[in-house]
Amino acid sequence: MVFWTTLLILHALLAVTLLGAITHQTVSVWMPVRSTAGSFVGRYRAVPSHSYASAVVVLYLLTFVLGAWIYTHYRYTSRLALEQLRFFKVVGAFEVKEHLAVIGMVMLPAYWCFWRQPLAPDYAAARKQVTLLLAILVWANFLIGHIVNNGRGFGS
Amino acid sequence: MTPSRKGVVFAIAFGIAYCALYVVCTEVNLPLFTYHPATGDFGLLYQPPGRGPAMYWYGWMLTALVGALALALIATVLPEPWVQRAITFAAAFAVLYLITSTGALAIYDRATMELDFLKDRSWSGIAALAVAAVVTILAPSARMQRIWPGWMWVIPLGAVTVTTYYLTPYFTR
Repeated sequence: MVFWTTLLILHALLAVTLLGAITHQTVSVWMPVRSTAGSFVGRYRAVPSHSYASAVVVLYLLTFVLGAWIYTHYRYTSRLALEQLRFFKVVGAFEVKEHLAVIGMVMLPAYWCFWRQPLAPDYAAARKQVTLLLAILVWANFLIGHIVNNGRGFGS
Repeated sequence: MTPSRKGVVFAIAFGIAYCALYVVCTEVNLPLFTYHPATGDFGLLYQPPGRGPAMYWYGWMLTALVGALALALIATVLPEPWVQRAITFAAAFAVLYLITSTGALAIYDRATMELDFLKDRSWSGIAALAVAAVVTILAPSARMQRIWPGWMWVIPLGAVTVTTYYLTPYFTR
């Protein structure tokens, strides 16, 4: 139990880091600051968006691998309990999460190509859109993971 | 360093093909292997649950990976306009098939007479194929010269929509 809990916490920490990186990048590419940033929000938007691409790819893969590993334990422990408790929405939310995670992962090769330096103007629109969709998928998966984890409560 | 054009074609074709194949694998249940987490056993292709549940997710991912790698490699050796037309055709077919099959079932449900042929999905498939072919042929050549990078968000968004829609029974029980 300690082993799986440690993995789950590690998975959550990686997910938080990924969430921060992809959100930062999405905000800076969709709402770039043209002049010197003064406020906190302005400085948040003013980061060089391209610098996050490699970190996002690595963090996504690490988070995915850990999640896929933990899934084996979830499948024959937590999920069975959730089904017995008739928490079908929670189980369904996790099913959605597994699909979103895979679809997000297969976007990574193109995402990485679009963000390679020097940034190609041909991919400017696709770069913004793919980054936004990836951010939405990461956010959705993070929130679903949080909800599923709260399904029975820690340690129950 | 900017990636080569072949690299971008491979990445886009891989992403699109993987999404399409993954949706098919999940709906038709086509895993290359089955994992039994309670016992730690693996089985080739689809295996029913044994002692404990069976997991097909890893198998679906592998099936889609093999297919997508093959299609992406083929895409890199074909002329780019052909690949763009093939993607346009496949995307048009998928959308039209969803529209025609849903429409046919809706008409069948509301019809006052017996229209059994509407339950046969092959009619929807044939109609979608025909219209998708016309759309692909009539598409402006200027838009067919290079692969549209926007496919890389349109197709995954479609895959997310379809896979999530098929899970609605979990939320309506």
